[in-house]
Amino acid sequence: MDRRSFTEIGVAALVILICAVFWIQANRLPPGTFEPLGSGPVPMYTAGIVILCCLIVIGRALAVIFQSPSLYRAIREEFPGSPRMGGILMLGSSAVYVGLLHLQVASFGLITFVFLAALIWAMESFRFRKAPLALIVAAIFAFGAEYLFTNVFVVDLPV
Amino acid sequence: MDFGALGGAIGQILSPWPFFMLFLGTFLGIVVGAIPGLTGAMLIALTLPLTFYMEPFDAVVLLVAMYVGAISGGLITATLMRMPGTPASVMTTFDGYPMARSGRPGRALGLGITASFVGGLIAWGVLFTVTKPLSVLATRFGPFEYFTLIMMAMVLIASVSEGSLVKGLISGLLGMLVSMPGVDPATGMPRMTFDWYMLNGGLQLLPVLIGTFAVSQIIKDSLDLGALPDRAEMSSKGMMMSLRDFLRHGVNLIRSSFIGTFIGILPGVGASIGSVVAYTVTKNVSSEPEKFGKGSEEGIVASEAANNATVSGALIPLIAMGIPGSVIDAILIGALTIHSIQPGPTLFLTNSDIVWAMIATALLANILMWLLMTSSVRHISSLIYLPRSFVLPVVMMFCVIGSYALNNTMFDVWVMLLFGVIGFLLEWARIPLGPFVIGFVLAPLAEEKLRSGLMMTAGDLSPIVTRPFPLAFTITAIALLVWPLISEYRKRRRTPE
Repeated sequence: MDRRSFTEIGVAALVILICAVFWIQANRLPPGTFEPLGSGPVPMYTAGIVILCCLIVIGRALAVIFQSPSLYRAIREEFPGSPRMGGILMLGSSAVYVGLLHLQVASFGLITFVFLAALIWAMESFRFRKAPLALIVAAIFAFGAEYLFTNVFVVDLPV
Repeated sequence: MDFGALGGAIGQILSPWPFFMLFLGTFLGIVVGAIPGLTGAMLIALTLPLTFYMEPFDAVVLLVAMYVGAISGGLITATLMRMPGTPASVMTTFDGYPMARSGRPGRALGLGITASFVGGLIAWGVLFTVTKPLSVLATRFGPFEYFTLIMMAMVLIASVSEGSLVKGLISGLLGMLVSMPGVDPATGMPRMTFDWYMLNGGLQLLPVLIGTFAVSQIIKDSLDLGALPDRAEMSSKGMMMSLRDFLRHGVNLIRSSFIGTFIGILPGVGASIGSVVAYTVTKNVSSEPEKFGKGSEEGIVASEAANNATVSGALIPLIAMGIPGSVIDAILIGALTIHSIQPGPTLFLTNSDIVWAMIATALLANILMWLLMTSSVRHISSLIYLPRSFVLPVVMMFCVIGSYALNNTMFDVWVMLLFGVIGFLLEWARIPLGPFVIGFVLAPLAEEKLRSGLMMTAGDLSPIVTRPFPLAFTITAIALLVWPLISEYRKRRRTPE
């Protein structure tokens, strides 16, 4: 099955949730006093149309799933193997990196060096022969960027 | 045609610092376009924070040069690895790679580079001649004209995006919706801020852009870090096109360039569609259609001429009306806004130096692209084999710096990460991201025009159907919405039970 029906349902449901929150917020806005439209209607109508479109996507995806001989088979076809960890690793380590920068636990260069070295090495499946290269690349980019942005471009860095 | 202004802009760009920006932008664009997983949109979004401290003229030169370079650089990966460096080069993989594998990589690259150059030149000619008259016409547009034009553009973007119309609409309208929290421009009151002061200023364009285009792409690329695909050996033999080649491919070059230019002008459609249409048309009219997909010279020429032509084509609605012709143009609109330059039909009057900088850069970057690629494609091609496990974390670091640099607040960095996840999920569900960003950029303008129009008419919407332009735009939008339904109905009727 080329379609990603379960993913489509999940993402459409998430979008509906986001739009519903926006719709409720927009609905609470007072009507316009000196202009006919006011602040609320544009976001409300926009959220409403998105919700409608998401329901269509969910309907179509459900139709595809119901056409499949069995639910188990449909799931296996859409998610054939084990989850690919690279994306989770990247997202998780980036969130930790941003969190550390936010908490200002060390200088930008140091936090970035640890982030880059650890992530590069992890993405190279922790092969020992890649470790020195990971450390060198991490050092060049982390401390190089810190120097470049603060001294050359005069851009503020998080820490 | 204002040759004096153009000459002045060219002269200014050829002075040392702007020329350095031109060179740097074109070179970086080519390199990033050539590295699989990195895109022009990503490069330009990440470069935006560095332009805060530049003169607007230099910033525009740098960004437009990157745009030209990035669309061209994708050709290298498409030809040597059967992997489009940028989405615009997808069609080039069909013929470039087979030709390169058959021992003629220099010929495949040479055809592509020269076709890109010619496509860029022809489209630039249209950009130079059409933009000013179009902007004069656009100055006559009132609020309802603008509102309906933007709505038509959104429907058009949604209808030609990858996937279904409904998914395109979800993406575009969701982009519009998330641009709305913050202070209401008409009333000055905060709306949809969830009583959170950080949202009073709304979600900023830059973190949203970097998240949607760079972070989501990084997450996607990280899913599969396996070995890079099989590649063809590089050789510069046969790189230069002869006069006989020009005569043989002349009609194809001109036709594909005009197709690319026209598709570039359509709001939000962009280079990928341009190359698909030109490739399909060329295949349909070719005397040797069976060679397409097996190393056809015509296929390479059509795809590359068209995708480069869309660059200048897409700059036309941006300069003349403030409507982005592609995702990168939406980012360029953001760049202009950051430099306090209001894109739109009055740009020629208020910031003519910036307009002419864009037009002149499109020409000079195209020439420089040809020179750089023909002379150093051999060296640039070695960069495409950089392991993604080393490149992606470094790009993520630049994403963090870029998002933070806007307001010096970590809130923007978290917004970037959040939109990275949202962008990844949308793409995973085959919901295109292009309409999302264009919706995000255009929504404030659309809402402002609608509300100011309604204030002028005391709430009366009838000008949408009583004025010629709004009526034409509305009918086109409705036709674009209804056409897929009619088309599907007809297809079902034709298909026997």
